[in-house]
Amino acid sequence: MAKMKKKWVALCSTAVAAVYAAGYWSTEVDKPEMLVNGTYSSPIVSSKASVSGNDEVPSKYIDGTYTGMGSNRRGMIQVTVAIKNDQITDVEISDFAMHYSIDDVIGMPEEVLQIQSAKVANVSGATYSTIAFSDAVQDALNQALRT
Amino acid sequence: MKKAKLFMDTVVQIEAHCGKTMSEEELDIRVSRAFDAFRQVERACSRFSPESELMQACRRIGKATTISPYLFEPLRFALEMAEWTDGSFDPSIGRLLETKGFNSHYLTGVRTNSDADLSANFRDVELNETNRTLCLHKPLILDLGATAKGFAIDLAVSELKGCPGFVVNAGGDVYAGGTDEQGDKWTIGIREPKSANTVLQTLYISDASVCTSGSYERRSEVEEGEHHIVHPATGRSPNEWISCSVIAPYAMMADAFSTAAFAMGGDEGIALIAEAGLQGLILTRDLRIKRIGGI
Repeated sequence: MAKMKKKWVALCSTAVAAVYAAGYWSTEVDKPEMLVNGTYSSPIVSSKASVSGNDEVPSKYIDGTYTGMGSNRRGMIQVTVAIKNDQITDVEISDFAMHYSIDDVIGMPEEVLQIQSAKVANVSGATYSTIAFSDAVQDALNQALRT
Repeated sequence: MKKAKLFMDTVVQIEAHCGKTMSEEELDIRVSRAFDAFRQVERACSRFSPESELMQACRRIGKATTISPYLFEPLRFALEMAEWTDGSFDPSIGRLLETKGFNSHYLTGVRTNSDADLSANFRDVELNETNRTLCLHKPLILDLGATAKGFAIDLAVSELKGCPGFVVNAGGDVYAGGTDEQGDKWTIGIREPKSANTVLQTLYISDASVCTSGSYERRSEVEEGEHHIVHPATGRSPNEWISCSVIAPYAMMADAFSTAAFAMGGDEGIALIAEAGLQGLILTRDLRIKRIGGI
């Protein structure tokens, strides 16, 4: 049993070390994807997304940082979206300290709001999605649109 | 300090304090580098962006391609788990997940529909440790939904290691490092599936990860009763358990074991966690709690 655990732990620690050993960490954070080679020769995967490899087409969005607002049943949600070369590079939830905690915005039923007594700050649960934030992100994107 | 950003279709929240030894500026830098870990891993492993390293690799069939450790490492772990569970856990099921409606990018809404082969399995994926290459022997779509996020957490943790206390919470997959501001172990709850603010169990942990796989979030919009964990052999979502949490020294480990055990279910799933010497807590469909490893 102990031996099994060791094997998996070793795999994990090797995995983290590999990123640092390869020197990826310090040098690549701000660069665009390093292993993209621009040509998609194999048509095996057809995606509905258009792959932009054409620099002559003007960008859809103006680079910058935009604040977007959205709402759900708990109130307003504010996000700050950073855009660079038509890619969303960062989405920060900018005012979660104001009138709700992150846990509140996940779209839980109303009745739960009554029983917050046993509140624990950090909860492990099945991974929730970001649907509650999509309006706010869209609002920011609309502002970034090149007109 | 506490910050939250969106990555990998979930909310990643990092909370950290600098104690007496670290400056606020230093803490800021570490937290921002910790978020960078998520950005890097997402860029490499996303199944929802045609430009990701993973999706580019999935367009090259039969050719060995050098890949970065951001993709190589979580894929290697997933393949080890696939081998260990004899395919009950399988990272080659991306296409199957697409057909169940799990194919839309959370920021752009763009849907991906690939022409991959549903007959492929993890044995059609070949990693070469020496050359760090990946070769797919059949058209398939990789899905690293059970290891990439855990790996991103582990990389974030290595950036935060110098802080006296921090918690990385990626949408319910948690790592707690050091102690809280009072010097106590961190309090982490395991969620009661019916409500986001009630807990099944409270844990006090330090330098460990708790990850939970469950059927109560991320339901399929296409097929009733289906969710984002699928058993490769049946092509269906297991519904014997509602939730399965695993505590492990690394998040990638907790993440992969909770998902694999959930996919297997029953005594087999429980044995998977126990044999690895890990602790776990399972909530079954008939609302029984099963504890593993003296939790």
